[in-house]
Amino acid sequence: MTTSGLLNHRFIVFVFLALAVLPFLSDSRSMYIMFTQIFIFAIFAMSFDLLLGYTGIVSFGHCMFFGIGAYSVSLFLKNFGATISYFLLGVLVAIVLSGILSYVIGMLSLRLKSHFYAMLTLAISQLLFVLAEKWRSLTMGGDGFTFPVPELFRDRLSFYYVCLILMVMLFVILRAFTHSPLGKVLKAIGQNEQRAEALGYQILHYKVIVSIVAGVVAAISGGLYAVMLRFVNTQVFSIETTLDALLMSMIGGLGTLFGSILGSGIVELAHHGLTELAKLHPIFERWVIFLGLLYILVVLCFPSGIVGSFQEWREKRKQRSLQAATITEQVE
Amino acid sequence: MDVAMNLLVNGLATGILIFLLASGLTLIFGLMSVLNFAHGGLFAWGAFAGVWLFGLTDSFLLAIVGAVVIGMLLGFVLERVLIRPVYGDHIQQLLVTLGGMLVISELLKVFWSPNPIRAVLPDYLQGSIELGDIILITYRLFVIAVGIVVYVGLHLLLTKTRLGLIVRAGVIDKEMVQALGINIKQVFTFVFLLGAGMAALGGSLLAPYSGVIFAEMGMQYAILAFIVVIVGGMGSVQGSMIAALLVGVLGSFMAYFVPELSLAVNMLLMLAVLLIKPSGLFGAKG
Amino acid sequence: MMLQLDHIETYLDQFHILQGVSLSVQAGSITVLFGRNGAGKTTTLRSIMGLAPIRHGQIRYLGEEIGHLPTYSIARKGIGYVPENQGIFHDFTVEETFRLAMQKNDDEQKEKLAWMLDLFPDLGHYWKKKSGHLSGGQKQMLAIARAYVNSNGLLLIDEPSKGLAPIMVEKLMFHIESMKQKTTVLLVEQNFMMASMIGEQYYLMDEGKIVRGGAMQELKDDADTRQKYLGIA
Repeated sequence: MTTSGLLNHRFIVFVFLALAVLPFLSDSRSMYIMFTQIFIFAIFAMSFDLLLGYTGIVSFGHCMFFGIGAYSVSLFLKNFGATISYFLLGVLVAIVLSGILSYVIGMLSLRLKSHFYAMLTLAISQLLFVLAEKWRSLTMGGDGFTFPVPELFRDRLSFYYVCLILMVMLFVILRAFTHSPLGKVLKAIGQNEQRAEALGYQILHYKVIVSIVAGVVAAISGGLYAVMLRFVNTQVFSIETTLDALLMSMIGGLGTLFGSILGSGIVELAHHGLTELAKLHPIFERWVIFLGLLYILVVLCFPSGIVGSFQEWREKRKQRSLQAATITEQVE
Repeated sequence: MDVAMNLLVNGLATGILIFLLASGLTLIFGLMSVLNFAHGGLFAWGAFAGVWLFGLTDSFLLAIVGAVVIGMLLGFVLERVLIRPVYGDHIQQLLVTLGGMLVISELLKVFWSPNPIRAVLPDYLQGSIELGDIILITYRLFVIAVGIVVYVGLHLLLTKTRLGLIVRAGVIDKEMVQALGINIKQVFTFVFLLGAGMAALGGSLLAPYSGVIFAEMGMQYAILAFIVVIVGGMGSVQGSMIAALLVGVLGSFMAYFVPELSLAVNMLLMLAVLLIKPSGLFGAKG
Repeated sequence: MMLQLDHIETYLDQFHILQGVSLSVQAGSITVLFGRNGAGKTTTLRSIMGLAPIRHGQIRYLGEEIGHLPTYSIARKGIGYVPENQGIFHDFTVEETFRLAMQKNDDEQKEKLAWMLDLFPDLGHYWKKKSGHLSGGQKQMLAIARAYVNSNGLLLIDEPSKGLAPIMVEKLMFHIESMKQKTTVLLVEQNFMMASMIGEQYYLMDEGKIVRGGAMQELKDDADTRQKYLGIA
C-alpha cells in the first residue's frame, strides 16, 4: 500500500497531463472557467480531506478559512491595487490569519468530543458570516463588491494554468505531508484515537497541526476563488461553502487527496449538467438535492467514496487472484 | 421600564421557541448519542407547513397541528433512513444528518419557494394587552404560554409515565436499560418523533412571530439551539429550558442595546461553558 | 444445566477477547469466576447478556440457544444482570428504579420485591430517596435487588465487592448466599477469600480462556494454582 492504495501514480499523472493539454483541444472560455473552479474547489476539498479523511476531525465550519482567504485577497486588490504583489500579500495575510484562528480554535476545542467540535466550528463560521454581513463599510455585506485583478489573472487561460499548477503543487506537498511520519500519526489518530493516545502520542498537538495546515490551504483556495469571480460577498462564509468541501471530498473518497480532485470535478460537472436540465423540469434548478442524495448514499453505502471503493475493489480482486493462485499451487 | 419589560417578554418568547427546538435535540442526543444536524430543517419545515396550512384552512390551530404532524412524519423518515443505519458511528451520524439537513432544506424550496414567504397571524392573536402602563404584544404572551404547557407536559411525561422513566434511564445508561428487558430502539423512534414534533411546533409558532420565513432559518435557529444544548447540558430538558430562556433574553437585550454583539455574546457564553464545564450547567452526561 | 457456554469467542473492535470460553452453571448453585484484571471475566458476563456480542460458539439458557439474541430478549428470558459499575440510575429514586425494572408488575414480581425489601431493609427505608445519594453498599444492594425482581432464576453479578469496606463485603456475600435458596448465581470476583466462602463451583480465567474449573474446595486446597493465576497464596 505504498502508493497510497492501489490507485497508481501513472493514472494520477495522466489526469494532470490531460488537464494540462485540455486548453489546446478547446478554447471555450466557459470551459476554462469551469475547470478553474474545479481546481480551486479541489484545493479546498483536499484541505478538508486532511481533517476528516486523515485525522477524523469533523469540522462544519471549514468555510471560515475559505472566506478569510477570499476577503483578504479581495480587500488588498480593491484597496491597494491590482498587482501580483498585493495579491501575494493578501494571500500571506490570509495564511497568517487562518493559521492563528485555526490554532486558537484547535487549542480550545479539539480536545472536546467530535459532536462538540462540529457544533462549535459551525457556530464560529456562522459568527464570521454575521460579522461580514454587519461590517458593511468593509465588506458591503451580502451585496458584496467587485475589484480589479492583476494582469496575469485577467486572462482566463493563464489563470487556468495558475490554478492547475497550484492544485498539482499542493497535491504533491500534501501527499508528502500525509506520507511523512507525522501524516502516519494522523492516520493512526483517525483510525483509533484511544489507541494512538495509548501509544503515547500527544493527540491534541497533532490535531492542532493538521487543522492549521488545513486552514492555511483552505485560505489559499478562497483567495483564488475571489480572484476567479473578481467579486466577493458573504456567501463564502455560508454553510453551503463548507458543504461543498464535504460533498466533494466525501463523494471522491476520503483519505486519498486525489478523491477530492475527482469529487470537485464531479460536483461541478453535475452542477453544470443539472442546471442545463432545468429547461426540462424546474426541479433541476434545485440540483443541490441530487448532490445531497448522492452524498447521503455515499455516507451510508460507500463511506470510502469513489476512489476508496475502487481501491477496495482492486484490493479484493488482487487477494482473490492471490488466493486462486495458492489454491492452484496446493492442488498441483 | 416599559422597554425593559417588552424586551424581557420578547426574549422569553424567543427563548421558548429555541427551547422547542433544543429540547428535542437534547433528548435525542441524551438517549441515542445522535447529534441531529437536520433538526433545524424540521423546524423550518414546521414553519413552512404552518404558513401553508393556515392559508389553506384559515384555522391557526389546524395549521399548527398539521405542521406538527408533517414534522413528525419527516422525522420518522429521517430516523429510519438516515440514523438507524449508522447507529453507533458518531462521525457518520454527524455527516449523514448534515446531508439530511441539506436535502430537506432544498426540498422546502421545491415545495414552496426559494424566496422568503410572508406569514400572518390570525385576528384573535393580533394586537396587544395593556397591563397598567405596560403594553405587551399578545402573540408573544401566547408563545410563552404554549411553551410553558409543552414544558409541563414534557416534565410530566418524563417523571410520571413508564415511558418517561425509560427515556430518563436510557439517557443515563442505555445498556442497563436493555439488560432490564426493555427494547430501547422502540423508545428511540418515539423520542425522535417527539423531538421532531416539538421542532415543527416551534417553527410553526415562529412563522407569524417573525413575519417572514425562509429555508435558511432552520440552520440559524439550529445554531442557537446548539448553544442552548451545550450551555444547558446534553440530555437535560430542564437545563435546555433555563439555557434557552437565558439565550433568548440575553439576545433580546443585546439586540436592543448593542446589536452588533448579539450573536457574539451567546457564542461567548457557549465557549465559556465548553471550556469550564463541557457537560453543561445541568448536564446529564458529557 | 441452567446455563451453558460452549466455546464462545468475542471480539471488541479487532481485539480477540474471549478465545473459546466454555463453562456451565448448575441450577441452585453459586459459581464463581476468578481471574486477574483483563482476564476476560467481565466480557464473559457481557457476552452472556448480549452486550458484547459473541462471534462464535453457543450460549444455552435453560436449554435454549440465546447467543445471538438482542440484550433485551436475553433479559426477558429471565437473566438478571448486575454490572461492574452497578448501573445505578442516579437520578432515580429507589421506587422509580423498581418501577422501571418490574416490567410485568404481577404478583410474582411483587412477591420478589417484598422478599428483597425483607433482605435489604435499607432499600425500604430510603424508598423515596435518590439512588445517587445511597451509600456504596446500598447501591450494590439496589443493583442486586433490581436484577433479582426482573429475573426468573439466574443472576450475573460482576465484582460486587469492588470499592466496598471489608465488613460491607462480608455482609453482602452473606446476602448473596442467602439468595441461593431462590436463585442461581454466576459471580465474578477478585476477592478470593470472600467469594470462596459462598461459592460451590469455580472457574479460573486467564487471557481470555478458562484455565481451571471444578469444586471450590479444590481451589482452596491448591495454593500453587492460586499463586499462579491470582497472585495470592
